[in-house]
Amino acid sequence: MAEIRTFKGRPALPGDVQGSAEVSHIGFNTCATYVDVMISGTKSGVCQDHDNKDLFGRDLADKVVCVPQTIGSSSAACLFMTICEKDIAPKAMLFANHIDSLAACGLLMADNWIDKRIVTVDLLGPDFLNTVMTGNTIRVHADGTVEVHG
Amino acid sequence: MVNSGLGGHIGTDANFTLTTQTGYSPPDAKPTTDQSKMQLTAEEQAIYDGKHGELLQKAIRTVVAYGELFSANRLVDLGGAPHMAMSWGTDAVEPFLKIYKQFADAGLKTYKPFTADPKPMDNEHLDPGPKKRAIVDKIYDREDELQEINLRLGMRSKDDWSCVCYVKEMGNTPKRGDYLAWSESSAINYANSVLGARTNRNSMGIDMLCNILGKAPLFGLMTDEGRKAPWLIDVKTAKLPHPELLGSAIGLKVMEAVPFITGLKDFLGEVNDRTSGWLKDMGAATASNGAVGLYHLEGITPDAIEYGRKLLSDGYQTYVIDDAELKRVYDSYPNLWKDPHHKPERVFIGCPHNTVEQLREWGERIDKGLKASGKTTVACPTYLFASKYVRDAFQLKYPNVAKSLTDNGAVIALNCPMMYLSTPVEMDEMDVTNSNKTRVYTKGRFFLDEDLVHIIVTGELPPGA
Repeated sequence: MAEIRTFKGRPALPGDVQGSAEVSHIGFNTCATYVDVMISGTKSGVCQDHDNKDLFGRDLADKVVCVPQTIGSSSAACLFMTICEKDIAPKAMLFANHIDSLAACGLLMADNWIDKRIVTVDLLGPDFLNTVMTGNTIRVHADGTVEVHG
Repeated sequence: MVNSGLGGHIGTDANFTLTTQTGYSPPDAKPTTDQSKMQLTAEEQAIYDGKHGELLQKAIRTVVAYGELFSANRLVDLGGAPHMAMSWGTDAVEPFLKIYKQFADAGLKTYKPFTADPKPMDNEHLDPGPKKRAIVDKIYDREDELQEINLRLGMRSKDDWSCVCYVKEMGNTPKRGDYLAWSESSAINYANSVLGARTNRNSMGIDMLCNILGKAPLFGLMTDEGRKAPWLIDVKTAKLPHPELLGSAIGLKVMEAVPFITGLKDFLGEVNDRTSGWLKDMGAATASNGAVGLYHLEGITPDAIEYGRKLLSDGYQTYVIDDAELKRVYDSYPNLWKDPHHKPERVFIGCPHNTVEQLREWGERIDKGLKASGKTTVACPTYLFASKYVRDAFQLKYPNVAKSLTDNGAVIALNCPMMYLSTPVEMDEMDVTNSNKTRVYTKGRFFLDEDLVHIIVTGELPPGA
């Protein structure tokens, strides 16, 4: 029977979802990840950030993306809304650290203005990223509990 | 790699497109921390309850949710005037255009007239040529729509596109203590540090919501606690260091933390027209190689003058920067050109936009370099970037320098060099720059001033480059 590890974070944008993990151990650069969406209007959730060896080339649509926090240009908010509108967004964003202000802007704007929620949990702690691996099944609960099925 | 100390590597190397800026996040928060609920005034509560319409209700609910994520316990009234980063009209900003149009159609405006970042293109002064221009025009095909909506929302005029909105010629200069909701990293950095205003590093969208409401949540760099410095930067160089190199070194080290910088008072003196360009460029470099939203300069910037080393946090760390350290940083910059030894195609000077004094300095520098070589025109197309207001003021104040600049073949352009070089058909140009910000976000190569003059005069890379 597969092991289940449980982590408790803060439900920034609560929800119950289940999906496959995509894990980045470096900051998730929203702009670099979705640069083709930004410039060319491409409808693809494939990560274009070739500096991110964990995620480059991987399709993040409908996945549970696990990161320390996000980095990149202040246009991050725009990208979160755009990927939601194009239905290429992850199901959930899970942050080991406190959510940063740029990601918070984008995720809140998408949630409040186009009614597209990317379930968001932060403060899961560094051990979360040491445990979760790409391909793990993740269950996110509305109270901020995250189950990693290894 | 750069370690933020926040539980993992969040940065990247010294030069990669669109990297290394975080926003703001408290480093010591725990999931058990009580989620604060904001205390609203009666007026704010009425908006929150929808008594002023659905649009404003949605706006304040978003802004309150944003603040509560960062444990803000109240909103504050904004002062000064807004400045916003969104200046490019591509399909990617479609969601924002829809929201902004709703506000404009409802007759809503920002609490005061606002300025915005420079546009990506200035075909009048920096024409990429007909083939590229056609592609670029298609990419930025929502530019006119963005301007039209912005003007209805309260943008001051169609000429108010510049990242250096705070110089007197632009006139969007907040006072010390003014609360702002700005969203351009270099302008945020200058307003917080040199002017003593208070703004967080906001993203697009939330800036407009706050500026329509005239209110922002109080947290982070807007608070006394958030303006304390966990880093002491001890500058021990033989002369005034190059602002871009110093800022780059600091940003790479402290990431998003506030640095308290010492050792520059004797070199810089005080904030004035001559030093503001240096301060702007140093700060912008801290915000492009790192995510610095505020720095203190001992004896120079307003908070540091008033509070001195009381601004240092308990247990602060120290980073000593000498000439060897700056050389190490400079030598670490990669060459991303497809042909590393190609002749430079263009010279880009001024990102963020130049001040009047910087235009004078570069005009004189270029003229001197050409005369010393017995030449009369630049050998490599040379562009200096500034707002329309700064360009006009430069031409009025220094007509002889302005004339020599034109006679020598250099051009003042009004757009954003970084965005120009981030645009697909232009991103492979092999251009050189004096800006760390342009270097970080594009494939442009950074050179020190004397090497740029060599390139401008000869059209060739400096020996060994």
